[in-house]
Amino acid sequence: MDIVNYKQDVWGREVLLGVSWDLLWLILMFAFLFIAVHAIILSRGERTELPSSEGARLVRHLMADRLFHWILAASVIVLIVTGVLPVMGIKFSWLTLHWIAGLVMTAAVVFHIVRSLFFKDLSLMRIQAADLDDPFDDAKKSGKYSLAQKGIHWAMTVLVLAVIATGLLLFSLMTTPWWSRDNWMSETNLGWTFVVHGLSTLGLVGLISLHIYFSLRPEKRFYTRSMLKGWISSDEHKSNHDTDLWLPQQETERVRESD
Amino acid sequence: MSAFDVMSDTELYQPVTVEDAVVLASRLAENAWLVAGGQDTYGWLKDRAKNTQAMIELSRIPELSGIKRSASGIEIGATTTLTEIANSKLIQQLIPLLGEAAQHVASPQIRNVGSIAGNIAQDTRCWYYRRGLSCYRAGGNLCYADTPEGMNREHCLFGASRCVAVSPSDTAPALVALGATIVIADSSGNHTIAAEDFFVGPDIDITRMNILKPGQIIVSIHIPADPEINVRHYFEKVADRNVWDFALVNIAVSLEMQAGKITKARFVCAGVDCKPYRLKEVERYCENKAAGSETAEGAARLAAKGAVPLNHNHFKIALMQNLVRRALRG
Repeated sequence: MDIVNYKQDVWGREVLLGVSWDLLWLILMFAFLFIAVHAIILSRGERTELPSSEGARLVRHLMADRLFHWILAASVIVLIVTGVLPVMGIKFSWLTLHWIAGLVMTAAVVFHIVRSLFFKDLSLMRIQAADLDDPFDDAKKSGKYSLAQKGIHWAMTVLVLAVIATGLLLFSLMTTPWWSRDNWMSETNLGWTFVVHGLSTLGLVGLISLHIYFSLRPEKRFYTRSMLKGWISSDEHKSNHDTDLWLPQQETERVRESD
Repeated sequence: MSAFDVMSDTELYQPVTVEDAVVLASRLAENAWLVAGGQDTYGWLKDRAKNTQAMIELSRIPELSGIKRSASGIEIGATTTLTEIANSKLIQQLIPLLGEAAQHVASPQIRNVGSIAGNIAQDTRCWYYRRGLSCYRAGGNLCYADTPEGMNREHCLFGASRCVAVSPSDTAPALVALGATIVIADSSGNHTIAAEDFFVGPDIDITRMNILKPGQIIVSIHIPADPEINVRHYFEKVADRNVWDFALVNIAVSLEMQAGKITKARFVCAGVDCKPYRLKEVERYCENKAAGSETAEGAARLAAKGAVPLNHNHFKIALMQNLVRRALRG
């Protein structure tokens, strides 16, 4: 199986075209295997009672963060559907939808970066040495985000930034309502841009598959609810988080931007 | 590139029934190349820009050839030659538009062997693509025609999506104007599709110009024709040469008339889009109007509405306008 695709041009030179989409099946297979194995292992383990969702409601995600998350999610899904389905043989007019969704995602990410750098406590997402014990210590509770959540966030950050950077480069080569196309990039660099764009897309497909799986798992479903409604219960907080590391405010209080 | 230049080994299959052809096409799938008249095929092979492992020659299948009257119109076999169509009394009598279009294809020699299915399913003539460059249409990442330096005099005004190539067929716009349907056979049976839906733009599939997939064969074309309905046809082709040339712009028009007024109009151009381009605004404008100079002037103004010309093809806008004007003046 190839990682990249080449084409021989009329002079016999090999032209780099982009990532080999055979890798998509590999990524989907690995994601499916991981999910299947993880689900089987957890189903065989001891069942613990889930914390109650009743009681005091603590703020986990503010409205602005939730909106960002769902706009990003919608745009990424549109991008993957419009980018990947034609490759899989389902033909439709995808390009305009693709770049519009790409611009929406870029705007959402810029908003998130500004908000994270200037209005939020970035240290909550920083991976620290102490976090590295998480997978080996069942009794240990995390702060606002677990090592796995931080890991997924940073992996997603790298992939989304890579896909945006290369996407904007490719966008600059298209005819748009604002400019006409221009072959300013060499064919080789264009090929590499497609490789990075494709690889980051494949990474996102894998990562999002896992993200959706975990968001639907019964013991993690309260996080999904918190991304929809904003809160977790006091019981869920105590069962999953170290109250010294993260002590959220009650939903009924007037919450100021502190997390 | 190899130091010697010979044709690559190619297996030749010559089925004599449609069933055998379908089995072969289905088995060989993308490794096979369907050929009837070969007027598009042999150019590719001679230029070494495309190759094939196998060719399925369809011209020996009797049921794929011929023109006959059907209950609702005329049925034309896929491998019927353009000369047969141009000379057919039945076509001249019932659908002269198609005969006229076939008469304008290339040269007499090409029309003698070129088939109707080959003419509508032929590949674009963009010279960058034909040269074998790794452009979008050839599976690459670039369009060489749509650049500040690109030579795009023959390219599109509408429907560009990375690729700016155009449909070169003369008979395709005529078939769309006539509301024809195309019968396609594959291993699952026969499928009928409107001629208008047979063609596909680069926004949907950048490497193909029609929906024909590997394993599928065009069997016949059905054109509705009712002698009771008063229909006026018009075909005109503008090319750099009068013979043996592709259209810069052509127009096929079908006007249903009643009491001197147009009740239903179809205006279709080729050479301006990757697929036959219907001038829907012109069609709407013409309905319930009399064909003549006044209607022609109004319709001409709408002919190229929405056109996005490239660096060297602005002249096609005026060509479209004039062709619409002339079609309505008759």
